[in-house]
Amino acid sequence: MTAVALVQQSDNADVQAAFKQAEAHFGHIPNLVRALGSNAAMCRTITAFMIQSLQEGRVSWKFKEIVILKTLASNHSHYSYGAHEAVALALGNSPTKVGAVSNSLWQISDEYTQAEKDVLELVDQIGRDANDVSDELWDRLRANWDAGQLVELDALITTFILIGKVGDTLGVSEPVLFTRNVA
Amino acid sequence: MSSKVAQLPLVEPEDADPIAKQVYDDAQARFQMVLNIFKVTGHAPEMAKPMWDIFFEILAEGQVDWYTKELLILKSTNMGDCLYCVTQHEVVAERLGVTPEKQKDIVGQLYKDSPHYSDKERAILDLCSHMCVDPEGIPADVWSKVKSYYDDGQIVEIVATVGAYIQVSKFGDALGVQLEAVFAQHQPRLFAREAPKSPAARKHLKHFLDAQKQA
Repeated sequence: MTAVALVQQSDNADVQAAFKQAEAHFGHIPNLVRALGSNAAMCRTITAFMIQSLQEGRVSWKFKEIVILKTLASNHSHYSYGAHEAVALALGNSPTKVGAVSNSLWQISDEYTQAEKDVLELVDQIGRDANDVSDELWDRLRANWDAGQLVELDALITTFILIGKVGDTLGVSEPVLFTRNVA
Repeated sequence: MSSKVAQLPLVEPEDADPIAKQVYDDAQARFQMVLNIFKVTGHAPEMAKPMWDIFFEILAEGQVDWYTKELLILKSTNMGDCLYCVTQHEVVAERLGVTPEKQKDIVGQLYKDSPHYSDKERAILDLCSHMCVDPEGIPADVWSKVKSYYDDGQIVEIVATVGAYIQVSKFGDALGVQLEAVFAQHQPRLFAREAPKSPAARKHLKHFLDAQKQA
């Protein structure tokens, strides 16, 4: 049981628009979007932010999915983990690269560049204590990522802490996120 | 350890791209200032608008009143040791009528027995506390109480508010976003009642208080 009903249809114009945008982007309406459907403002804004995050950006979607998996794993979130594994694989990440996220193997994997490893280290530190991201790590991050990319990555990491918290709190199951081809 | 310096420069309004500038103008209209945390998102304007739209909705009367949402914001950002958010929202909450005494009793378990809180408020502060620590471990009796007071739309707004403030506090803290000058002399309430758990946050708080003494 979810904490709130999964809205199937709504008379609210904002919710209808959010559902339409979600269907266009994901190929269907994800359960989390339906769970938000009883609150038009939250449904509209959180759906829009999810859509903006889950596409090519200043950082490739292929790597963003790795970051999302690492974020969910580091913050002990189960919401949509399997669904994001499927997306990560569909976007071209290898099964071994995806698998290395869930423990410490990414640190010694040659499938990750140092620039990518620095981002995963940021994920871990934000999860532990966002007040304590070292200057040294930021120096390494700035060496390989520009300011826009770093803002996008910080937002992505923290957004998926939010999405994981909301999904887990409401008890939403999301076995499949995209029913359209993402590659 | 973090030195709590800003890790990226701020994008000032005069340098902002048109999309970011529109977000800044909306923030100025709503809050009478463009906060530093808005300015750092000027580096990625296409992300700034959808991110801040969530907060423009939260920081207003909704299916849950803004006063109640400020209690959730204070609770969640205090638990996250976010000096930036707690400082600002101690000010905002007071403007909405949350007295300093009520604010201080939000710390830890104090709200549970505080005369300043209703059972309805205690129910969602319990939910907030559990959500911050372990969302999958929320006890059934907490849900029963929350559902006895709030409908689905309100529960969505409550959970989204807590989630959004966990997000934005970590977003800003990771980047070392600095408090604006207007808050420089604010006397912390929640962190005076109980120091942050994070050694880095305690260091940032000490730096903030030392700067006040030197001013």
